[in-house]
Amino acid sequence: MKLTLPRLAAASLALGLSVLTTHAGVTAGMTEGAPALKSVGPLAFGPDGILFAADTKSAAIFAIATGDTKSAPNAAQPLKIEAVNEKIAALLGTTADQILIADLAVNPASRNAYLSVSRGRGPDAVPVIVRARLDGQIEVVSLAKVMFSKVELPDAPVDRVVSQGKRQSNPRQLSITDIAFLDGRVIVAGLANEEFASSLRAITFPFKQAAGGTTVEIYHGAHGQFETRAPVRTFVARNVGGQSQLLAAYTCTPLVEFALSEIQPDAKVKGKTIAELGNGNTPLDMIVYQKNGKDFLLMANTSRGVMKIGTDGMERAQRIESRVSGTKHETFSVEAIADWKGVEQLDRLDAANAVVVRKATNGALNLEALPLP
Amino acid sequence: MVRPAARPGAHLALQSSTSPDAASPWLTRPASVRKPRCAARLTAGIWVLCSAVVFAAAPVPPAPPLSLRWLPPADGANAAVEVSGLGADELRRLSAANYDLPHWQQFFKVFAEPKGASAEGKLPPMIGAYRVVGAALRFEPQFPLHPGVTYRAVFSPGWTMDQTSASTPLTALFEVPAAARTATTRVSAIYPSGDVLPENLLKFYLHFSAPMRGGDIYRHIHLRDAQGREVAQPFLQIGEELWSPDMTRLTLLLDPGRIKRGLRLLEELGPALEAGGSYTLTIDRAWPDAAGIPLAADGTKTFRAAPADRTPLDPTRWAIRAPAGGSRDALAVAPGEALDRALALRLIRVFAAGGPEIEGDVELSANETMWKFVPDAAWRAGDYRLVVATTIEDLAGNNVGKPFDVDVFEKIDRRIPNESVAVPFSIR
Repeated sequence: MKLTLPRLAAASLALGLSVLTTHAGVTAGMTEGAPALKSVGPLAFGPDGILFAADTKSAAIFAIATGDTKSAPNAAQPLKIEAVNEKIAALLGTTADQILIADLAVNPASRNAYLSVSRGRGPDAVPVIVRARLDGQIEVVSLAKVMFSKVELPDAPVDRVVSQGKRQSNPRQLSITDIAFLDGRVIVAGLANEEFASSLRAITFPFKQAAGGTTVEIYHGAHGQFETRAPVRTFVARNVGGQSQLLAAYTCTPLVEFALSEIQPDAKVKGKTIAELGNGNTPLDMIVYQKNGKDFLLMANTSRGVMKIGTDGMERAQRIESRVSGTKHETFSVEAIADWKGVEQLDRLDAANAVVVRKATNGALNLEALPLP
Repeated sequence: MVRPAARPGAHLALQSSTSPDAASPWLTRPASVRKPRCAARLTAGIWVLCSAVVFAAAPVPPAPPLSLRWLPPADGANAAVEVSGLGADELRRLSAANYDLPHWQQFFKVFAEPKGASAEGKLPPMIGAYRVVGAALRFEPQFPLHPGVTYRAVFSPGWTMDQTSASTPLTALFEVPAAARTATTRVSAIYPSGDVLPENLLKFYLHFSAPMRGGDIYRHIHLRDAQGREVAQPFLQIGEELWSPDMTRLTLLLDPGRIKRGLRLLEELGPALEAGGSYTLTIDRAWPDAAGIPLAADGTKTFRAAPADRTPLDPTRWAIRAPAGGSRDALAVAPGEALDRALALRLIRVFAAGGPEIEGDVELSANETMWKFVPDAAWRAGDYRLVVATTIEDLAGNNVGKPFDVDVFEKIDRRIPNESVAVPFSIR
């Protein structure tokens, strides 16, 4: 879901010819074949229809040239696919309760939405990428013969097999909680299933042979004066005064800001907590968009619905360094968007619309385009 | 006409009938209307197969009848469905055709028809591969068929052949019976195994006797206080769900935002655990395993909360009991408190001084307060090192030299620079 810089896509589209020339560049180092995804979770798009897919089981990021680089014409009706989970299940020959939708990402080059799906919910689940076209048709993206490259995460959890009573095992696994593409780098937020440590990595794209990722710990001020190693749930990148910034949302919804340039090998980054948006809540997804010349964030949450956050004044926000009672965001606006109920996945479709996956009152999941608030 | 099912003891039933569907090749009526009758009472647990055959208007010379039949899974191959009775020219043309999936689906499509889908009648056909095999056109679903789902194949001859029966589609149904539902999977262990845990406990490990089903798991996990009241939202609910690769172990994190800090109460919900309180963690038996079968029983763990542990780990203070040289007795290490089980098994290692790692088996006992190591070969007298990674954790997530909560505004630089701590010991 992660958009990265909206301007990037707009620029690519505006420079029609450069798309072709850039394309050769982004597929440099890729090979043709079938990427061996063992699982598929967070998704993000780069330029020219390059899809980044996080594979937690392989502790790897795949870059896949979708070839989906032409902007789709506007359909007669706004995009709405009712019971998209049932329809995807039908495509895959199974029932809706046998699939999981992990993420949604709109390809800014075509405005088609991509969903990462698991067919099955056990260890033998098969990863599938589904494309929901702007005309409302859904199709499975064939990965039998595509240009792709892969980078394994540094510190992938294969360091040691434990032998206990002659049983060999290594149940350690790194979960990838979010990815984004920004300034030629794939940013990866991860959480291990044994060590409790939140990490961010920046990996240069096109991927080099040696995975030159960097690990960064983020500290943030929350829950009083204390810091925790809570995991980053979701993040967006934005450009502020010519500088690339990441805004990360943590569990319990603190919003933490830091400069992308700080993500250096083995650096210990101290994030700046600029807002506390409420306890007992987990952010699900976040996008950044522009309206009337101003930047806004839209954040979907588990229990606090969708919030629209104005970034005007964010630069004046003081670092939160004391215990916060309830919520705190003094220099910028936060508004609940009451109409957007049940949103589980969120991405920006174009300058005026978002695409969401949200739960309808009958329990089915609908995929639909909604005008940005 | 129908290949016997490969499964021992399986039975097939077949009845030919003309499809009741007439006009449109795009069948949208409910399956119950168009479902052909099965000939025989079928034994539970077998593949159920119904088929339909359409006899084309008799040409001269008579052509073999068109038929559509399912091939049950056999010899490791998935189920397939095929059209027989196509003319040789037609088969040659289809064999050479390089159609994409939507083109094939114009005249031959297969639907999964789950019961109770809200989008019933609007579901797209399933994906798979089309090819000519022998004298038949075959569709092979990309994925194995799912138990309990009815699959409906529809072939519209008119799209491929100039025949008078063109508008009469053939349909054939196939159902994989639901699996036997004997619940055998259990919660095999819950760690930490002690019954007194710090109020700033960071995680549980839930072990299951067989792979489990992921997705939407938190509704099956409850933490209740001594009065049976549910503790609201005690866990960090992350969509990724921290499973082991084989999905027999779930790491369940307590929400760091709900961990009590000092004397300050958290806003709104308050801390999840408070010293002195008694709590029960319950894993609902309704939670299905990977085969979709619920657990055989609830899994429970009752414990009492003790005061918070904010002390970093210090392996140099751990008690090491060295075995005698020449024996294969266990090296025993007592950290003085319980360690995180998974990390203690993986992040404590034994090396000969200046030499290689000693191979052996690790065991944790006494509620994870005793780490034991039995070498593969007998101990030799000499100097050794116990090497502990600084990322090891106690039950509250404190590391070596670093408590879980770091007051960064004053102590940001307080870190252990090394990745591990070596503790020397000798064997005589």
